[in-house]
Amino acid sequence: MNTRRAAIVGGNRIPFARSNGPYAHASNQDMLTATLDGLVARFGLQNERLGEVAAGAVLKHSRDFNLTRESVLGSRLSAETPAYDVQQACGTGLETTILVANKIELGQIESGVAAGVDTTSDAPIAVNEDLRAVLLEANRAKSVGARLKALAKIRPQQLVPSIPVNSEPRTGMSMGEHQAITTIEWGITREAQDELAAASHQHLAAAYDRGFLDDLITPYLGLSRDQNLRADSSVEKLGKLSPAFGKAFGDEATMTAGNSTPLTDGAAAVLLASDEWAAQHKLPVLAYFVDAETAAVDYVHGDRKEDGLLMAPVYAMPRLLQRNKLSFDDFDFIEIHEAFAGTVLATLNAWEDDDFCRRRLGLDGALGSVDRAKLNVNGSSLAAGHPFAATGGRIVASLAKMLHDNGGGRGLISICAAGGQGVVAILEA
Amino acid sequence: MPSLTAPPSLLPLYLKAAATGPLHRGGDSLPDSVYTLSDQRIDPAHLAAFQQVCGYRTSDVLPPTYLHILAFPLSVALMTEREFPFPMVGMVHVANSITLARAVRSAEQVSFTVRAADLRPHPAGRQFDLLAEATVDGEVVWTSRSTYLRRGKSTEKKDDAKRAELEPQQGAVSVLRVPGDIGRRYGGVSGDRNPIHLHNLTAKAFGFPSAIAHGMWLKARTLAALEGRLPDAYTAEVAFKLPVLLPATLSVSAAQQDDGWSLDVRGAKSGKPHLAGSVTVPAAPTSTPKDKAAATKKAPAKRAPRKKTA
Amino acid sequence: MSDRYLNLVNSPLGSAVASRVGLPQPAKLRRYAGGDPLLPGPALLGATGGKPAAALRKLLTGAGAEVVDTLGEGERVAAAVLDARSVAAPADLGALRDFLAPAVKGLQANGRVLVLGRLPDGKSVTADATRQALDGIVRSLAKELRRGATANLLWVENEASLGAALRFFLSGKSAYVDGQPVVLGAGTAPDPTDWDQPLAGKTALVTGAARGIGAAIAGVLARDGAKVIAADLTQAGETLAKVANRLGGSALHLDVAAADAPPRLLDHLAAHTDGLDILIHNAGITRDKLMANMKPEQWDSVLAVNLESQLRINDALLGSDQLNPQARVVCLSSTTGLSGNRGQTNYGATKAGVIGLVRSSAAAFAKHGASTINAIAPGFIDTEMTAKMPLATREVARRLSSLQQAGLPIDVAEATAWLASPGAGGVNGQVLRVCGQNLVGA
Repeated sequence: MNTRRAAIVGGNRIPFARSNGPYAHASNQDMLTATLDGLVARFGLQNERLGEVAAGAVLKHSRDFNLTRESVLGSRLSAETPAYDVQQACGTGLETTILVANKIELGQIESGVAAGVDTTSDAPIAVNEDLRAVLLEANRAKSVGARLKALAKIRPQQLVPSIPVNSEPRTGMSMGEHQAITTIEWGITREAQDELAAASHQHLAAAYDRGFLDDLITPYLGLSRDQNLRADSSVEKLGKLSPAFGKAFGDEATMTAGNSTPLTDGAAAVLLASDEWAAQHKLPVLAYFVDAETAAVDYVHGDRKEDGLLMAPVYAMPRLLQRNKLSFDDFDFIEIHEAFAGTVLATLNAWEDDDFCRRRLGLDGALGSVDRAKLNVNGSSLAAGHPFAATGGRIVASLAKMLHDNGGGRGLISICAAGGQGVVAILEA
Repeated sequence: MPSLTAPPSLLPLYLKAAATGPLHRGGDSLPDSVYTLSDQRIDPAHLAAFQQVCGYRTSDVLPPTYLHILAFPLSVALMTEREFPFPMVGMVHVANSITLARAVRSAEQVSFTVRAADLRPHPAGRQFDLLAEATVDGEVVWTSRSTYLRRGKSTEKKDDAKRAELEPQQGAVSVLRVPGDIGRRYGGVSGDRNPIHLHNLTAKAFGFPSAIAHGMWLKARTLAALEGRLPDAYTAEVAFKLPVLLPATLSVSAAQQDDGWSLDVRGAKSGKPHLAGSVTVPAAPTSTPKDKAAATKKAPAKRAPRKKTA
Repeated sequence: MSDRYLNLVNSPLGSAVASRVGLPQPAKLRRYAGGDPLLPGPALLGATGGKPAAALRKLLTGAGAEVVDTLGEGERVAAAVLDARSVAAPADLGALRDFLAPAVKGLQANGRVLVLGRLPDGKSVTADATRQALDGIVRSLAKELRRGATANLLWVENEASLGAALRFFLSGKSAYVDGQPVVLGAGTAPDPTDWDQPLAGKTALVTGAARGIGAAIAGVLARDGAKVIAADLTQAGETLAKVANRLGGSALHLDVAAADAPPRLLDHLAAHTDGLDILIHNAGITRDKLMANMKPEQWDSVLAVNLESQLRINDALLGSDQLNPQARVVCLSSTTGLSGNRGQTNYGATKAGVIGLVRSSAAAFAKHGASTINAIAPGFIDTEMTAKMPLATREVARRLSSLQQAGLPIDVAEATAWLASPGAGGVNGQVLRVCGQNLVGA
């Protein structure tokens, strides 16, 4: 089958806000629409009929069943632009990029937007499970009497709403609790985590200062920089924070609010196109999407150390690199999503572990070391924050710009996701 | 031999158990009655309710412990027989082993037999087994052995070695939050409305600090966590340790072994054991070749030594 | 920001009261709306020293004006156009009185008086004195006109730009331009194929486009057919995106004062456009302080944004292949740059500096494929910035012009769009005030 290249034309995101901050009253649809409108404004796409918009949110209201399509209808794009929702937890933003890029490569569409959005402020609250059962029963009742009989089963305690919990359904543990185990199992030190976190803040602050984000961001609701960003962050300051996760491990607990991403609200979008479409619209190409791989681990029943919830990218990466006959040294930039500093460091450790790589990755030895000078050079989620589904779009757009500004090269993306999943991808320019 | 076509009603049996408790005088033998209950139809709504309370997905495949609750009235009837050596109230369910020969589906009509066997000493008194069997058209599809303890004088010495410190739980662990009303919910679907499970007040009357979870619920919930991973035929054997005081947060370990899974449920904070056991999968001659990922599976989990820095 | 006083005196009761007690009676100005005719009534045409030139009549009728040569008793006209290019001695000026006296009487509300003259050229003292007299006549007449009428002077050295100038000054687009002289010189000023879309096919960049005057300019350029790149600081991106989306343009986050602004701008133009046709230097800031209290950073930031950025970007464009021939550059100055303003030494420096920039670089732009560069000096324009002024100050400032009201951003935008149009090719190195003939700095 003939395929062609999928170009990354650019991106747009709104600055990420801390939970219950400036975007407390903004819904996923509000943020996604604003982000699409910013993208439309940046690239002059008013009334343009794109091939498709693929986007998603991790925390979603039932009323948002058609979140992306509704956002498109509210945006300046042509109302004839089709859209669909995708959800792969924190991998959503990268997965939508893969979907849109694949369709462009196959010639099914000429252009498309891949996006993601999440709010932890405007999170859906469900009615109590028992109340829901009673209401559904009443709804099914065929007579008034039967309905009243069903409704008579409502009890006061059922009126307490059910607030979504940030935990894995099968393990009952939050991501932080999972990562706390992984962090300890891989022997990641507090100092190493704080160093990574401080570097993330310093890199992102520098990127803002030199205008790197000027054509990646459109301010929203008065916020023009990521709210979580602390330009003056340092290992000393981070060292003063007390552990937030894994407290059960006592003195071994190393994960703080400083080296973990906070709950964040935000949205990000990426514009992809065929070379022809980009040329017709006089839009320069920043980079090309090359390939991607997704993996999953059995974090429920697997090995405590090697099958940690956020370890799946470790497994996806060698498959991607082998298929493309590349090694870490062939890349100019490597973007590893900082769900937690411990996640990045455990991932790096795993790739450097000869025994692990032989046994679990089927390699002849360690996959290799990532040159820290190439890692998250403009900061990542620890500084920017991490609105789950928006992170992929943030990284794709910013890496594409880095490659373009670099005058070419290759970039690697690694994103871990809830449910023990991981998405990795290659861009080049 | 009592042969039934409908399950005996439990409430009169409980009343009988309460009223006739003192009449059971011990003795050294179990009655040799065999209770049978033939050709039971499965009520899909009841099955769905059971599956939901125990964390199974709604399906037409009967969870192994669902068959247990269908057989349970027969067990109660047996234990409330006049000839039974112990009063039912106060007996402790210490272990249960179920062997499933194949998947049983809700469209099938299942017949049950229950008998008591093997009265023997226990370090804390005496124990015996209730043996239950389920058949479909004469084919044995399910057997269960529940071991009950009657506290009292023992002829067997306590094994102090068992008190030694426990090994850490194996493999990945999950956190299970058990709501305070799980006893009432499970009592509702299982029919086992033992007052120690229903309410803190009634449990206190029997000397527990709060209501405690049904052992068979805990077993069902633990097996449900292996949903999608167990074959149609296996043996799930568990010992019930300390009672789970409700509400509770438990740490559940289900670690893969060469021949199945090990099960280990403890208090998430206390670390006290609540359930230990295993799922044994018979070596199937016709098993499909394992996929690549499983083939490259690592050796048994290595555990990093847990240092305590004082 | 609505002018409540203006609305009040235009109500029946308010009008009666204002006229009895002698309060100013500002008129509702005739502003251009899409599809409007050039004039709401006939245009009276005259000339000193003979019949009006046929070419001038043709330009007027071509622009859609109904031209009349005489004004009957009780008849009214929407405009009076007098070709006074022939005056050579003071005695010739009587012809102006002869034409203008009845014309002013018969002028409709929001009428237009347009005098065409010839610039003094140093060849004859008498002729030069006479020609210069036109300026005094027009400026004084502008102060006499009531009910939104304006008077302006065109120094016609070359008729190439006359058609576009007539269309601007007679239409509602020039509503707030009053008492101003403009030189129409030599230059390349082709007629557009469609006068409703004079900027079709042009690429325009407007700095400071997120709000106020910049947003209005971007809107008018887009209305006139230009593909607009709306530029502003990243911090203004939220409103900038709305502006860009409303007018079908694109948004560019650019800090014009940043060291790398010129190369970034050139990169953007190279990647996204076929070269720039129109550049509007609108971005500007104020950091008002009396000189005695002025901090270096207040001084430097205003200089950097309002003046230095324009100098650097112009240099970069002229030295690149990204500025198309017949380009139009319009720089936003201010009446403060002409007359000064208390507390604005820094701002005044930049706005006067811009005038120097425009005058000095006109030749260089003319050499660049007959391009032009001009400045617009707005007077008191109602914007978010003036809305923050104290009420009394604002009210007084509003009435200090011949039109007795503040202008609107659209007035500045219309004037900018005219200077940015192909037909204004003969206007170069000039400063056009859009101030309603403000008393300040006249």
